[in-house]
Amino acid sequence: MSATLETPLEAPRSQNPKLLTLLLKDKVATLAALVLCFVFLTAVFGPMLVAEQAREQNLLNANAEPFTLDGGWLNFLGTDPLGRSVLARLIVASRTTLSVAVPAVLLSLVIGSLIGMWAGYHRGRRETVVMRIADIILSFPSLLMAVVVLYIFSPSSANLVLVLAITRIPIYLRTARAESAELQSRLFVDAARTFGTKPTAIIFRHVLPIILPTLLTVATLDFCFVMLSESSLSFLGIGIQPPSVSWGLMVAQGRTYLQTAWWLSFFPGLAIVITTVSATVLASWARLATDPAQRWRLTLPRHKRGRKEVK
Amino acid sequence: MTGFLRRRAVTSLLPLIAVLLGVFFLARLTGDPANLYLPVSATPEQRQNFIEANGLDDSIWVQMWDYLGGVLTLDFGDSLRTGESAAAMALRAFPATLQLAFSTMLIAVVGAVVIGSWAAYRPNSVADRISSFLSMTAASVPDFWFAIVGVWIFAVSLGWLPTSGVTGGMASWVLPVATLVIRPLGVLTQVVRGAMVSALSAPYVRLARSKGAGDLRVVTHHALRNAAAPALTVAGDLMVGLINGAVVVETIFGWPGIGKLMIDSILGRDFAVLQACVLLTAVSIFVLNILIDIGYALLDARVREKVSA
Amino acid sequence: MLSPPIRRSRGLPKVAGLLGLALVASGCTVANSEYVTGGGADGLRIVLPQEPPTLEACQSSLTATGVVVRSNITEPLLERDPDSGELEPLLATEWEQTSPETWTFKLREGVTFTDGTPFDAEAAAFTIDRAVNSDLACEVEGYVFGDTDLEVEAVDETTLTVTSPEPDPILPLRLSFVEMVSTKTSTTEKVREPIGTGPYRVADWQAGQRLSLESNPGYWGEVPAYKNVNYVWRAEGSVRAAMVANGEADIATSLAPEDGAGELAVAYANNETTALRMQADQPPLDDIRIRQAVNYVIDRKLLAETLFEKLAQPAGELIPDGIVGYEPDEQIWPYDAARAKQLVDEARADGVPVDTEIRLIGRNAQFPRITETIEVIQGELAKAGLNVKIEMMDTNAQLEYQIRPFPKDTGPYLLMIMHGNQAGDAAFTLDQYMLAEGYQSSWGTAEFDQKIRAAEALVGQERQDAMAALWQYEQEEITQYAYIAHMSAIMAKSPNVSYRPNSASGDEMRLAEMSPVS
Repeated sequence: MSATLETPLEAPRSQNPKLLTLLLKDKVATLAALVLCFVFLTAVFGPMLVAEQAREQNLLNANAEPFTLDGGWLNFLGTDPLGRSVLARLIVASRTTLSVAVPAVLLSLVIGSLIGMWAGYHRGRRETVVMRIADIILSFPSLLMAVVVLYIFSPSSANLVLVLAITRIPIYLRTARAESAELQSRLFVDAARTFGTKPTAIIFRHVLPIILPTLLTVATLDFCFVMLSESSLSFLGIGIQPPSVSWGLMVAQGRTYLQTAWWLSFFPGLAIVITTVSATVLASWARLATDPAQRWRLTLPRHKRGRKEVK
Repeated sequence: MTGFLRRRAVTSLLPLIAVLLGVFFLARLTGDPANLYLPVSATPEQRQNFIEANGLDDSIWVQMWDYLGGVLTLDFGDSLRTGESAAAMALRAFPATLQLAFSTMLIAVVGAVVIGSWAAYRPNSVADRISSFLSMTAASVPDFWFAIVGVWIFAVSLGWLPTSGVTGGMASWVLPVATLVIRPLGVLTQVVRGAMVSALSAPYVRLARSKGAGDLRVVTHHALRNAAAPALTVAGDLMVGLINGAVVVETIFGWPGIGKLMIDSILGRDFAVLQACVLLTAVSIFVLNILIDIGYALLDARVREKVSA
Repeated sequence: MLSPPIRRSRGLPKVAGLLGLALVASGCTVANSEYVTGGGADGLRIVLPQEPPTLEACQSSLTATGVVVRSNITEPLLERDPDSGELEPLLATEWEQTSPETWTFKLREGVTFTDGTPFDAEAAAFTIDRAVNSDLACEVEGYVFGDTDLEVEAVDETTLTVTSPEPDPILPLRLSFVEMVSTKTSTTEKVREPIGTGPYRVADWQAGQRLSLESNPGYWGEVPAYKNVNYVWRAEGSVRAAMVANGEADIATSLAPEDGAGELAVAYANNETTALRMQADQPPLDDIRIRQAVNYVIDRKLLAETLFEKLAQPAGELIPDGIVGYEPDEQIWPYDAARAKQLVDEARADGVPVDTEIRLIGRNAQFPRITETIEVIQGELAKAGLNVKIEMMDTNAQLEYQIRPFPKDTGPYLLMIMHGNQAGDAAFTLDQYMLAEGYQSSWGTAEFDQKIRAAEALVGQERQDAMAALWQYEQEEITQYAYIAHMSAIMAKSPNVSYRPNSASGDEMRLAEMSPVS
């Protein structure tokens, strides 16, 4: 892997196959990519297969122990207090979870970074205003915001995404602002300015590629934060509403059973951990594989941004 | 520096007022507390009395004016739930939260710098992989898992620690701080590691190495200082979360902090207490942000020059 | 060198210094407030789910307040024995109905409040006036007296007369909820710490952390076994259970079956009954077939056996055994999913809008496994062909749907309620939940109202029989409710403490009944 650091100046066109080869050389990163693909496919196709089974209650077979095939393969991960298959619910929940977490993270990432870079690049009053707005959001009790939004509107997925995204925007905003403020005073940015490049172009061509890896690191970590926040909203009863189900909801509901039926919150928790860890592994691999410190002089190879955001 | 501080204080005032007003209005959107505090069979007159006694019948602007006036004199009115002064309740809860927050952050920062730089020194080595894996897992484990399982293992099964409460001396700090530190430690380790990897491969560090600077010196004197900025940002954000109250930990361990108080006052529509709590946390967060900016300034000579200019 | 290293070297230590300074500055107030946990032979430690918001005696019909205050710090004139249902003398030794509207009470002599003021008819009159006739909007006023005002008179030092505007056969029972407080108590605002005559008084209240009671040296009755009692509170049930298991507390209340108290757990019937209330004025719930269908899909026996772990009894009425007006031969609505579907289909054929979305509203953590219960019901209703959406709410939001005036434009909704009749007489339940205009009733008929009023005017066995007959009528003719189960509560108790919880323990935990096991 460390060879990547020494591999300089690739022509953008040859990047794609090259990255794939690099990926396959790294077993852990490959595994992470496979896990993410699997989660993604499960979220897309899984609910079609087991939606019915995930709803099927059987109070006489409540809280059945996992790791036995007595109750059929669907009950391999045990059953919940209503006798529903934990496995089927995990599968159905993956779609809800991703459809809340991914848009929330992307939304806050894009909005936060754009405003942050813009503020950091221009500095002065624009920076002050933006930073104070970030302060407002940050020092606002996010739970109150959630209660209010979900009290006035209904606790639907879209509103959840909105609440979670708003509360996370300042994180990206501040990170992007700090780094771009530092970059804008550097020589190469000065040089670009002297050549008459427009600020927007400088931000996208020179600032973004350098701070993108940091932002992505933050975003992958945030991915799990958002899933856990959704869980704590569920705990307060204002998250995903049953009979819909998400991993966060499963963790929150299973929490009271930690001693008597550990599998109820363990498996969804594990799903959150595995997904996040895979995303982080892949992100940190991508960061090495595309180290901008080596190629900051290049214009941004745009197709690569898509690759880095593999979730 | 004083000029910078004064300007920051002034520019922070407006957002602070925005937060206070935002909480004021949003809180009132969550419904009238009369049902919670009046007997079920309350007559319309009793309802009217309750509403008048608590100033809820004034126009929202009059209420807002009273509230802002109260902020200046630090008088937020009395709690609906307990009848105590709201300011006193918030001030009583805040130190407990601050102590948890600072102890947690101290451990997380020190731990993250050590583990993160060690991992970044040889990217993708076994050590890096293991520490990355552990820190990533730590960052994504639901905290109440750890708290509840911790109580049963360390308090009930092993009997080493008290289950909860703040009265068992230092031992009662172990589980709450351990629960709280996991996530910040995991996140910060990742950030420090990431920033260090970039910094260590930067040309100036390679130059320093080629000039014969020792490994430890390269890490501590050159790379770490450059990696400190992103770490400081993220640490600041994590600290903000801790100051806003560690709700789960405070709830599970019966820690009398401000997070639990805020939740209780939101659920109890106890606006006076909520407003007092938010003022307290918001001011602290603004102060913290100023400290973070001073941190940046100290870290970065160029920013510092601009500030004093 | 395009990006030179930063040269300043004092950055990091300074930041660390700042952090350290702030840590010191935040002080150690919490760590310093250590206390002796009060264990041992003369100390008792109890862990509650929440801190009492106040100890104001006239708020003691609030569970969180009453569980500490009632019969411990303050006492009423007379109290109801939760087992026999009989009224027992306490601060009053005798009472009789001296005219249709008036009751006369003979008070106990030689009793003083913990502030030294004597307990006499003057004090009793003061307390009743304060709790029932004042503008304080006391919880107890609404809970037991509705909007009736009482005329109270101290005839002499030990004789008190209480007159109600209408003849009230259960006035003494109502008065058993009024906890006597010293005449020095403020009449214009509620107080946080009451002055009573009980076996204990407040020693120290570290708000947020713990509440200590100590025995009252001048108590008129028998000295209680424990000298000191410490209350702490933890919101998480499994932590409360763990505290008893770990020897940090002697008694933990409000546990769920899964909290892990194991052999320390003690289950007891707690007077609470769960039911679904149907908003019977909103289509399609205005059609009785739909309300019957809701009843048919609830498999009460299965729920009680499985989800409630045999700690609940299927219910056919809103009050449990032991309350005046209880029908011992409960009619449990049979489970018949096919019949439910048939009823819905019939209604659909008649043009009833059965596809309208019906909201199924519950309050978070109202009782153990409430979410699971609601999910079961939702699943069954969906199978019967109804379009039901679950909404879990916090207490305040849910109360808006539970108590009149109801919000407008709600659409049809089913509301999960849990009713605990702590008064011992069905009148309290009927007035609230059954009358057409009852504060917690969505609907009714003039005929049913008449029957209720008639039953409430009776006394003795006639009263019992007339009230008991109402439940079947409600199921057949009104069907506003789908009764689910009579619930139980669980507490964890250390083997060192001798105590037998009763149906009132959740609202009134008498410390004097607890003693160390020798």
